[in-house]
Amino acid sequence: MKVSALKVFCAALTCCLLSACTQWHYDLGAPLDNVALPPENTSLAEALQLLGPPLRMSATDHGFVLAWEHWNIREQSLGFSLGAMGADFLSADWGDMRVKGDFLLLTFNEHRLLTSATRSTWDNDGGGGQSIQPFFNFVSVVDADDLTESMPQHHWGSYLLQSLPGTLNESSSLDSGRGGLQQRGTPSAVGQQSLRMD
Amino acid sequence: MKPSAAVIAMALGALLLGGCAQYDSKRGVEVNWQDTVTTQLVNGQSTRRDVLALLGPPSQVIALDGESALYYLFERSQGKGLILLVYNRMQIDTRYDRAIFFFDQDDVLTEFATRLYPSDEG
Repeated sequence: MKVSALKVFCAALTCCLLSACTQWHYDLGAPLDNVALPPENTSLAEALQLLGPPLRMSATDHGFVLAWEHWNIREQSLGFSLGAMGADFLSADWGDMRVKGDFLLLTFNEHRLLTSATRSTWDNDGGGGQSIQPFFNFVSVVDADDLTESMPQHHWGSYLLQSLPGTLNESSSLDSGRGGLQQRGTPSAVGQQSLRMD
Repeated sequence: MKPSAAVIAMALGALLLGGCAQYDSKRGVEVNWQDTVTTQLVNGQSTRRDVLALLGPPSQVIALDGESALYYLFERSQGKGLILLVYNRMQIDTRYDRAIFFFDQDDVLTEFATRLYPSDEG
């Protein structure tokens, strides 16, 4: 049986329209690859000159901690749906996420001298999933929301306007600048956040 | 063999349904910490009042056991995307313009640092 070129073309075009690939690339902050860790007893002024203002900061019992970070997130998903053929009752999706980053944490004592400097670098699988869902896509197979949220400084003024559990726990909030700090993507069910009970 | 009008219409439709996207998101305080402004500040002389007068209210005030810090942040995200239905791609770059000022117990400026990306220097 001979299949006409026209039919092949139509079939190929239809197949193309039924599936789609989506990629999201996030680049947060400036790369820290070329930044050398300052030695112990470096003064705060020298550290700031070297690294610029930190992205995160918190007071501690005997000084404070400063943190710099850079995130590179690649999210990709592939979806297949019969919707274009009038059978919009089933869709199949696949998603995957890759997370790369650097985190630099400097601790200063009450004399503003560096007591410790640590760097964390990672290139990990950020998760992913597959789904077959009827009618609507209820579940997103890749979720990068907690990694791409805005910086906590933007919300600082509204901490006392949270729901009661959050307000009562404000003194130990990780975003207040007084209760420590945390990296993006830290699970909310551990540490100080778990005290909010929400 | 000539393609039919229906095939041409489908191909044209697929082309027309493709698109692109671009967005710019800005969050935070107004950027007032250009070099021309911060040269007016001197460690050991300028006070918190001077900094607030020059830069306005900060994004965050941090208490440091008697001392304090003012933190200014301007977050800018720029995204561009290609939407071809079959293949879609979004690239989002986020940059943080920021400034931090440390004060002693007498509200005198002790240290400060600023970072400003060239596109925001305006």
